[in-house]
Amino acid sequence: MRAGGPLLAQAAAPIVAVLAGGLIASAIILAIHENPLRVFALMAAFNMQPGSVASILTSATPLIFAGLATAIGFRVNVFNIGVEGQYYVGAFAASLAAFGLRGVPPALHLTVIVAAAMLGGLLWGWVPAVLRRRRGAHEVITTIMMNYIAFNIVLYLLGLVRDRHLGSTARIRTPLFPPSAQMPRLTPLLNALGAPLPSYSTLNWFLVIALALAMVVWFWLRRSRFGYEVRAAALNPPAAEAAGINVAQIQFVMFLLSGAIAGLVGLSDLLGRTGYFDIDFPKGLGFLGISVALLARNDPLGVIPAALLFGYLDRGAEGIQAFGSVPREVITILEAVIILAIVVSYEIMGRYVRVLRKQEAA
Amino acid sequence: MVPQDAESTAPVLIELQEITRRFPGLLANDRVSLSVREQEIHALVGENGAGKTTLMNVLYGLCQPDGGRLLWRGRPVVIRGPGAALRLGIGMVHQHFMLFPPFTVLENVILGAEPARTGVVALREARAHVAGLADQYGFDLDLDARVEALSVGEQQRVEILKVLYRGAQLLILDEPTAVLGPQEVRALFRNLRRLRDQGRTIIFISHKLDEVLGIADRITVLRRGRVIGTVQAAAARPPMLAEMMVGRPVLMHVPRSPAMPGAARLEVAGLSVSGAGGRLRVREVSFSVRAGEIYAIAGVQGNGQTELVESIVGLRPSAAGRILLAGQDVTALSVAARRAAGMAYIPEDRHRLGLVLAMSARENLILGHHRRDAFPGGPLLDDRAVDRFAAECCREYDIRVAGPGTPALALSGGNQQRLVIAREFAFTPTILIAAQPTRGLDVGATEFVYRRLHQIKDRGLAVLLVSVDLEEALALADRIAVLYNGRIAGEFRRGEADAATLGLYMAGGGPQAGRAVP
Repeated sequence: MRAGGPLLAQAAAPIVAVLAGGLIASAIILAIHENPLRVFALMAAFNMQPGSVASILTSATPLIFAGLATAIGFRVNVFNIGVEGQYYVGAFAASLAAFGLRGVPPALHLTVIVAAAMLGGLLWGWVPAVLRRRRGAHEVITTIMMNYIAFNIVLYLLGLVRDRHLGSTARIRTPLFPPSAQMPRLTPLLNALGAPLPSYSTLNWFLVIALALAMVVWFWLRRSRFGYEVRAAALNPPAAEAAGINVAQIQFVMFLLSGAIAGLVGLSDLLGRTGYFDIDFPKGLGFLGISVALLARNDPLGVIPAALLFGYLDRGAEGIQAFGSVPREVITILEAVIILAIVVSYEIMGRYVRVLRKQEAA
Repeated sequence: MVPQDAESTAPVLIELQEITRRFPGLLANDRVSLSVREQEIHALVGENGAGKTTLMNVLYGLCQPDGGRLLWRGRPVVIRGPGAALRLGIGMVHQHFMLFPPFTVLENVILGAEPARTGVVALREARAHVAGLADQYGFDLDLDARVEALSVGEQQRVEILKVLYRGAQLLILDEPTAVLGPQEVRALFRNLRRLRDQGRTIIFISHKLDEVLGIADRITVLRRGRVIGTVQAAAARPPMLAEMMVGRPVLMHVPRSPAMPGAARLEVAGLSVSGAGGRLRVREVSFSVRAGEIYAIAGVQGNGQTELVESIVGLRPSAAGRILLAGQDVTALSVAARRAAGMAYIPEDRHRLGLVLAMSARENLILGHHRRDAFPGGPLLDDRAVDRFAAECCREYDIRVAGPGTPALALSGGNQQRLVIAREFAFTPTILIAAQPTRGLDVGATEFVYRRLHQIKDRGLAVLLVSVDLEEALALADRIAVLYNGRIAGEFRRGEADAATLGLYMAGGGPQAGRAVP
């Protein structure tokens, strides 16, 4: 079939991007007088260790949520750059529910916390979504602004609810969460199944939730009537309007959904590792989510391998720094180059596809 | 039997010898041989996808042939680009004008080829040159008028003048009549004949047979990338050309049944609609379409048709007036609600409004129907029901697809339109709004659309046909209204007015206009 050419070309873009990133990183490694093949081999060997596998899966978990949140918006041309602020607000709302409730069964407590996180993210997304729908304010600008507001408001509120039993220490954090607010770890189950992951790993059930959510979103976009409308609205908004699909409403709903999923990004750290919210709570996961969504071509299932790749590179960076005397910044550069290469190769592939289509139409 | 080329004495200006151009999976031009003599109007006709545009792109240097050669005045040439084509003396008048609206006619003509002395544009010299050309060929143009204030026909004259100014001996006109009204077509043809009589050569691309027969000296027919034959226009007849184009006999006039109009299905009362920029484009338009009739709105493009249609289907808010669908006021309802109430819509721009090109044929067939209970499954779409529906549509409307999963963009224009028609005819609507339903379609596909429109009319549907093709409106309509400058200039029953009268109304010369025809 003639249309197979363009489709194949589009699918090849992420692979081309990763290869291009690897080549440029090799050049940099050569420039610091190291052998790139040796460095990559070291990274691969290091990442084969059980501890590394656990670490890769742990760092991929929030990235799946962040990538999904971003991809859901991007798919309908809603450029939600505010996943960062939305997950921060979501994590803080979750913390309030986590230390605020005591003596509740874990299942109920965790459900309430997850709901609070999603609500927090949704509310933080609702403001720019309404501004876009009612006033036409561009979401890229408003969500970036909302990110700054989120950080500072959360820090202010953290000051109000901080644990005062810490006395005169400089630590500023919420009170510790009760055991009912802790997400069970995945390692006991995996060990029982024969996977030799170390018991110190903080890998927890949020990984399973993330994988399941990605599949649910994928299935729902693919098979449901609403998902059909989403695809039509994304691929040709005027034709969708002419068919009676309310494109603005779909974008609004997807914006809110993006915010709600963004609220989940911080939870695997919050409930699976720290057990409190403090000023050192990880930042930047929302922006990494943009990279993940880009690499995944906004496909909900594609988000999974994309997030795993970033987790892999992240862990590999630690390895080559510790054992290969190559600074981890090389890997950061590699990540950045991959993103650049994706943008460029999508553009090139996009042009190539347009040429193919033109020739088909001629 | 294809009539052979009669002898002529004029020397050959350009000759194409076995030109072949391949695209992946497609042979756009297959050993095309063609010779154009000096001082002739040579028409190139063929269905969409026959290879006309590729051939002209080869001539104009926009793409290189894979095989064959070009002879210009008997000498082999390679044309590397439009610049080289112009230096040789080949000029192209594109279908879509490339003019700068705020500039004057003179400025537009000389732009890019300004005569200059020490870096200053020699405006006086240029004016004398351009005025001389306009005079010589009888172009009625005010050189100081701004292009944005000109009619479409006048803008086209500016385009032709641009090419002449650059010294073109051979003018290629790509579908030049597509945007013109009947009066403007006649003016264009007068200009073209005069250009020919004074020594220029013209290649005229079209798929309108009547026009080609009216203007051309010789006609070359292309089909699927091959030359089917070259005939003398004087010896050719429309049915013969149509058969050469399509490859089978074509019914030029689809048999029609008399209208048996019933109750009013669509009523438009005092409708006013603003266009882009807030200007009123439709002013107090009132009409009604009854069950079992085709009501046509004719008019030259840009007289408010687009805004009128978009307002009726619910894509554009109205400034005043009411729209009734089977007696129900739908003026404030959404597109979805109007569709649910029985409105179907074939948009004029099927790529922009009719199809989601990146989606499959199957998915496009349910666009707008995707919430119907015919595809059960609650919040999910029942894939099997959709497959059955798509297969049925493809069979019933003869949509040729490799499979239902083929993306809509891989279909030919005719098949794309069949797809839109199949979709809009499904689930028995009460009123069909058909905006330019044959735009860009070839003879065979047009015949198909006409048949189907008659068919649903006979089934008791009301059809509102909006067309800029007067022949089409006359062939199909039971009643015709002419839209001029946003108003209905006149409404006629079938047989009440002929093409000449309607053409007059289309040009603003109706009795309401209160002034003589320009």
